[in-house]
Order: sequence, then C-alpha cells, then structure tokens
Amino acid sequence: MGAYIDHFPREAKLIRSAFYTSFIMLALGGIFGVIQTLHRTDVVRFIDSADYYTVLTAHGVFMVIAFTIFFLVGMFTWAVTTSLERPLEDMSFSWLWFLMMTVGAVITGVTILLGFVESVDVSADVLFTFYAPLQAHPLFYIGLVLFVIGTWLAGADWFRSWWAWKRENPDERIPLPTFMVLTTMIMWYIATLAIAVSILAFLLPWSLGIFDHVNPLLTRTLFWFFGHPIVYFWLMPAYMMWYLLLPKFAGGRLFSDPLARVVFILFLLLSTPVGIHHQYMDPGIAEGFKFIVMTNTMFLLLPSFLTAFTVVASIEHGARQRGGDGYFSWLKSLPWREPAFTGMALAGLMFAAGGFSGMINAGMNINYLVHNTLWVPGHFHLTVGTAVALSFMAGSYWLIPQMTGRRLASKPIALLQVVLWFVGMTFMANSMHRSGLIGIPRRTAEPQYQGFEFEAALGSVSELNAQLAIGATLLFLSLTLFLWNMLITAFNKSAESPGENVIPTPLSGPDDSPAVLDNMKLWTAIAVVLVILAYTLPLASIVSRGGLLGRGGDAFPVSIDYLALFAQVALESAAGLV
Amino acid sequence: MSSAIQEQERERELGHDEFDPIGTLALIGIYFLILASMWLFMYFVEFLGNGPTVVGMI
Repeated sequence: MGAYIDHFPREAKLIRSAFYTSFIMLALGGIFGVIQTLHRTDVVRFIDSADYYTVLTAHGVFMVIAFTIFFLVGMFTWAVTTSLERPLEDMSFSWLWFLMMTVGAVITGVTILLGFVESVDVSADVLFTFYAPLQAHPLFYIGLVLFVIGTWLAGADWFRSWWAWKRENPDERIPLPTFMVLTTMIMWYIATLAIAVSILAFLLPWSLGIFDHVNPLLTRTLFWFFGHPIVYFWLMPAYMMWYLLLPKFAGGRLFSDPLARVVFILFLLLSTPVGIHHQYMDPGIAEGFKFIVMTNTMFLLLPSFLTAFTVVASIEHGARQRGGDGYFSWLKSLPWREPAFTGMALAGLMFAAGGFSGMINAGMNINYLVHNTLWVPGHFHLTVGTAVALSFMAGSYWLIPQMTGRRLASKPIALLQVVLWFVGMTFMANSMHRSGLIGIPRRTAEPQYQGFEFEAALGSVSELNAQLAIGATLLFLSLTLFLWNMLITAFNKSAESPGENVIPTPLSGPDDSPAVLDNMKLWTAIAVVLVILAYTLPLASIVSRGGLLGRGGDAFPVSIDYLALFAQVALESAAGLV
Repeated sequence: MSSAIQEQERERELGHDEFDPIGTLALIGIYFLILASMWLFMYFVEFLGNGPTVVGMI
C-alpha cells in the first residue's frame, strides 16, 4: 500500500482540481464574510450599504454552494475509489462533470459579482435563498442549473463504479465509504428535483420575462424542499471524515459499521420531509403541516446523537490503545499535536454546541423568538461554518498530501490555524446567538436605528459587535493561514510519503449488521413516500390558494419609476400617520 | 501522520470485547446535563412572566 496518488494518479488529479477549486471559492467567500461583518457592526464601512446584499449573496453562494460542494465531489471520489479499490470507469466522463460544475459556478459567481459594477445592468442580489420577488439575471439561474446537473453526473459516475464493482463482487456488502456516498447522493437526487422545478418551471422563465410573476410561497417552499437536505449534503462529507479518518488519526478503529449505516439511512429518509421547518413564520402554510414537520425534525436529531456516540467511542478506542485510561484522562492520550485530528475534534465539539441552537430552531413555538434574527446565522456558522468548514480544512492537511505526494508545508501553522478558527468562531457564534436573542435582525446592512436601542440583558450591544468583529477578523486570519499553507504545499518541492491511504477496519464490521441496510431500492422508496406524505398537501394548498404563477406583484430590482412610486406611497402613509 | 508512527504510539491492541467506552458515556452524560439545565433555564428566561406565545390570548 501507499499514498492515494500512487494507486490512482488520474483520479488524484481530478480530486486535487476539485479541492483547489473549492479553496478558491472559500477564499472569495471569506473576503466577503469579513467585509460584511465589519460593515454591519459599523467598524469599517467602505462599501455602499446597498451593495451589502451583493456581498451577502456572494458570501453565501461561494461558501455553501461552491466551496462545500466542490470539496464534496473530491471527497466522495476519494471514498468510492479507495473503498472499491478500483479506478473511475471513464475519466473523460469524470472531467466532464467537473467541468460542467466549474462552468456553472463561474457563470453564477460572475453574475453575482457584476452587481458591484454599476455600468453593467446585470446583478443577482438575491441571497443564497433567491426568494421571489427578488429577481436575479437569468445567468444566475442558468449557472446554478449547470452546476447541479454537474453534481448529478458526478453521482452517476459513483453509482457506475458501484454497479461495476457489484458485478464482480455479487455477494459482498457495500463497503462503508461507498455506502455513505450512495445514500447521500440518493438524498441529493430527491432534493434537487424540487430546485430544478423551481428554477426551470418558474424562476428562469420569470427572469427571462416569459412570466410576469410567480407564486413566491410556492418557489420558497420548493427552495426549502431542497434547502434542508442541502445542509446534510454539506455535512455528510464531514461526517464521513469523522467516521473514516478521525478514528484512524486517533489511533483506533471505527466503533461500529452497522451504526454508521443506520445513521446515513436515517439522513436519507428524514432530510427532505422537514424543509418546512425553515418556514415556521411563513403565512399560507397551515400550523398542522408545520407541526408534522417539527416532529420529523426532532427525529432527525437521532442520527446526529448516534454519530456523537459512535465517533466519540471510536476516538476513545484510539486513546485507550495509546495507553489512555480513566473516565476523562484518556482525553490526554489523544494526538492533539496533529492538526488533522485536532481540527476535526474541535469541529465536532462546535457541532455539539450547534445542536443546542438547532433544537431551539426546530421547536415551532421557540423558533418564533429567534426567527430572522442573528441567532440563525449564529447557528449555521457553528454547523456549516465550523463542523463542515473546519473539518474540511483539517481533513485537507491529510488529504492534500495524499493527492499530491508532497509534504504539508507547515504542521505547526496548521495546528495554529485550526485552533484560531475555533477561537474566532467562539467569539462570533457567541455574539450572533446573543444578538439574536435581543432581536438584532439578520440580513441587514445597518442594524442601527435612530431613537431605538437594543437592550442586552447581559453585556451591551457594543460588546456584542466587538466580539463579532474580532471573531470575523480571527476567522479571516485563520483562513489566510490555511490558504497559504495549501499554496506552499501544492508547490512544495519536498516530496515525502504522506502515509498509507488506508481506512482501518471497524471494531464491529458489516457482518454484524442486517443485509437489509444495503437495500438501496427499499430506502429510496421509503424516502420518496415520506416526501410525498410531507409535501403533497402543503403544496396543493399553496397552489390552490395562490395559483401556480401567483396573483401579481412586481419583481425586485425594480425600475426607478417604481422606486419613486414607492417613495410617494411611503410619504403619503407617513403623512397619514402624523 | 504516517501509520508507522501510529504503530509506535499504540501501546496495546483492544478488540471489540475488551473495549468498554465508559469515557464516551461520561462525556455524553455531561452533554445531557448541559442540555437539560439549559432547557430549564430557557423556561425561566423566555416563558415565566410572559404569556403563551402560540396559543391563547395576547
């Protein structure tokens, strides 16, 4: 055995390209992240507040569409080829999907960035959620469509590998890493159907001027049909690292293969029929449907709790093999000087904290307290912003040497980087959650109001803002260190064997689990039925009330005439109030 | 991190039956305690003194 690149040089090149693309997207997203934080906290304001929404859209789309998913395709290709011990079936097909994703991401990205150029009448200031009536230039939607089709083809590529492997190994259990990829991709296929309908049937024709208006609640609901499973699409590669790599780094073995399979099946089943929990505050969806979705959401905590147990037990196994003992002192036997281990362990710890705020978000009545406040970005900066992003960065310290055969440029800086991310996010998430509790809104360029002060029960608003700004600065610094380290590594002359590309066998292997767990058709069918149960009635009710294309309303951005009209109406109503 | 280093650092080989994840139980127990006490705390902060927010009269 050797490094990944020794076995699969062609695949390593593809995976490297995917990782490097994701790092470029991360760099762009990070720049817009720090600009927006310093702007909204009024520390440094060098952009126009109207451009804040371009910045916010860029931060969201570059981070959670481009960075996460480019990393995912690299990671999943690694997992499938490593665990099936076979190269991809056809490299030109693999490069095709990668190219398609890249072209799509570039089109969407450039369309967003053109929002800064006033002389060009192209913009996409629609945020990551692209809620109608916010309207983007058609190129924004076209880029997204290309990107998503690219991911579909990538999934087809991995299924193709599995089918080819199965023909040669008809009686064997699906290797766990491939199993994780397949279940995640089935979830993704189900989820992206909704966004395909939303864009192709409604938003794209609308932005091309074919329709005058759309039903905003319908496209919103279709967005969240896709928008909740996408959070698990980000998370599953991180989970995969925690299950496959973290035990290895800790010096142990995965505690249970069957439990891991159960977790991924639960995500396949429960990720999609819960999207409406992002719409607890939306009028037009009956409380009863929201209640059903809340119940599903609470069940969705189960696979994450199972993961907490399995992953911590696997790490503990490593610690005890390294001589650790006692209830807590085994923690001291872990390899805390290894950035890949420490980064992922800290990411997992932050995810546990994200679980607390996630439970608050999930509760229908408690959600009302925090909805649309800064609390919610606080939550997802713990989950996607740390559990996912920090795991990806930490994992890169092992994966990039595997893919390049080059030595990591600096291990101490890597260690500093992961700790810095953890500290920065502690400040930032603390500030965001507490700001949300006192009602400070999210998605707002200037949350400072004349004649009104937010009152913090503990501390003050300026203290919260300072924490937010310090947090963002530390995170930006950490990001710079990461990118610098990756850049030097990519060009590192010193080639050193990065260790073997081996995933340790689990303590309790696949033979301990019932064969039905590998029945992909069964789980797909159940997942589809659950989606039909959760969505048929709400969608029917939304369409019967508002029509497929809505009942009117204007798109935004609007022309100057509309702005003047709006100002006139506002003035008249203000005069009426006085 | 090469596996050769891992081999050197491994003091003993623990199989499925010898391994008792008691430390995991301890950590998850702490997580549960934090969760439960925050739940209680939330009741005092958000609900005591305020009326019900979803059902009933404002």
